[in-house]
Amino acid sequence: MKQIKVLGPGCPKCKTTYQNVMEAIKQSGIDAHVEKIEDIEEMMKYNVLSTPVLMIDDVIKVKGRVATISEIKEMLS
Amino acid sequence: MKDQTLVKEICPTTTQSWVKKGALLVDVREADEIAELAFDVPNILHIPLGEFDTRYTEIPKDRDVVVVCQHGVRSLRAAGFLVNHGYNKAVNMKHGIVRWAQKGFPTKGDTTSVLENTQDSGCCGTHTPAKTSQHCCGSSPKKESNCC
Repeated sequence: MKQIKVLGPGCPKCKTTYQNVMEAIKQSGIDAHVEKIEDIEEMMKYNVLSTPVLMIDDVIKVKGRVATISEIKEMLS
Repeated sequence: MKDQTLVKEICPTTTQSWVKKGALLVDVREADEIAELAFDVPNILHIPLGEFDTRYTEIPKDRDVVVVCQHGVRSLRAAGFLVNHGYNKAVNMKHGIVRWAQKGFPTKGDTTSVLENTQDSGCCGTHTPAKTSQHCCGSSPKKESNCC
């Protein structure tokens, strides 16, 4: 199962990233656990500077911008 | 959102006294923001947040460092990054240059926009409602304080 984390303080870009992740999972049909991390102290553990950050299996894939549905699907495949 | 405990935070008034004692300010804003309004202090380093993970080593580890930005949000992340990389003398300045300018502390450039805009801004350019009660540097909100 893919472990996906979306890091961000809950701003619009962070919410859009999360929504795009959920849609990408739905469209690709893969098995994934998605976690949204909004706590500032928790985010700092990952040395996050620019948000939103998208992580898949503990690897930062996208940072500082909204990941599109198509690129998320590609990362998950 | 609960308060974080990883990074020590100080207010602009305390920052001002640290600067007078030789602390280094690290401004993580973008160049165009700094061109519009800058901190006017003797010891300052500009490292935009987007370059921080590659340029943070320019910051000395053995010196008091205060990380600053527009509102204290981006600087908090940068300060956390520094703490995680062994910078135990790095702290964040709360409220950013907006509060610094509102307090009348030294700046270069146009303070009009920050003095008119008293509403806090969240990350990604979004605005969040201004907090109704504030206290700085851990002081009790019930006590009179000249800080901030």
